[in-house]
Amino acid sequence: MTNRVSDRIWIIIPAYNESSVIGQVITSAHRHGFIDIIVVDDGSHDPTAAAAATAGAMVLSHRINRGKGAATKTGIEAAKLLGADIIVTMDGDGQHDPADISRLVAPIAAGRADVALGTRSLTTPHMPRHKVISNRIANMVAWSFAGLWVADSQSGFRAYSRQAADTLNTRADRYNYETEIIRQIREYRLRFTEVPISVKYTAYSMSKSTRQTFGMGLRTVYKMIWNTLSF
Amino acid sequence: MSINDLQFYQIAVTAISLVMIYFGLEKFLRHEAGQSVLKLAVRMIVWGGMAAVALFPDITDTIAAFIGIEGNINAVVMLGFLLIFLIIFKILSVVERIEQEISALTRADALEKLKK
Repeated sequence: MTNRVSDRIWIIIPAYNESSVIGQVITSAHRHGFIDIIVVDDGSHDPTAAAAATAGAMVLSHRINRGKGAATKTGIEAAKLLGADIIVTMDGDGQHDPADISRLVAPIAAGRADVALGTRSLTTPHMPRHKVISNRIANMVAWSFAGLWVADSQSGFRAYSRQAADTLNTRADRYNYETEIIRQIREYRLRFTEVPISVKYTAYSMSKSTRQTFGMGLRTVYKMIWNTLSF
Repeated sequence: MSINDLQFYQIAVTAISLVMIYFGLEKFLRHEAGQSVLKLAVRMIVWGGMAAVALFPDITDTIAAFIGIEGNINAVVMLGFLLIFLIIFKILSVVERIEQEISALTRADALEKLKK
């Protein structure tokens, strides 16, 4: 399915050291009819920016690494400047399938929701056991801090209406970004819907997520506690 | 008082204090960036004080009697903890603010390309 002419859909891909897969992600999105793609290279040490530009994406570069949340926000700000009606965020490691974008943006294009949260099924046979457990814990933590229960609080595959993008004002730079979005959906009373998405657990994406799980999880919880106390 | 009369913690605290004072003096004498007489003086007072209290614990009684808090030392300790927590909180707030500013600056730099 190609984009509706009336909706300018921009795809935002925050990327850090993803040079080996970012080109495939962009090409796949193009193949599904989504040509407006912004890759935010978050201070990578490898040629992520060059690979993304070669694949046909607009590339914005952070001079230094500021985290996934900061990069995503940069992409959203850029899409707003470019006149986007709907903004989709997805990961740069290839775990998200661009074929799901159409279903993700459908509720927003139809005016039924302000935010669509891509939701990975916890019963997916391919999902590793440690991912199931860590996602369940993350959902509980997110619910504690955000006050809103969602089935997949850590999914980076989401879509926002222009109005939602204008309303959301995140300050979380790192992996606590996803939870802060959930908190602000509740705070600003945005209409949201959860859309099932498929997810590809490749050896590449798993090697990254495994490294991130425990340490990043602790940091995320710390940041959420800190934000709750200080903001 | 001989070294045989000292407990392990007294020797350890004194040694650490001397090392920290040495580093401070070395930085000051090399005129490293950010070093000042005030900073050196604070370092000497804090670490020198710790070494003095470790070697001569009775000093605390004398000080407590002198400033009139002898009978309420627990309250003083609690206030000390509170002060430390407040300082840590303040430092974390400053770090957080600086992090936010760095992100905003990095973002503005990245978006400059679109605004040209």
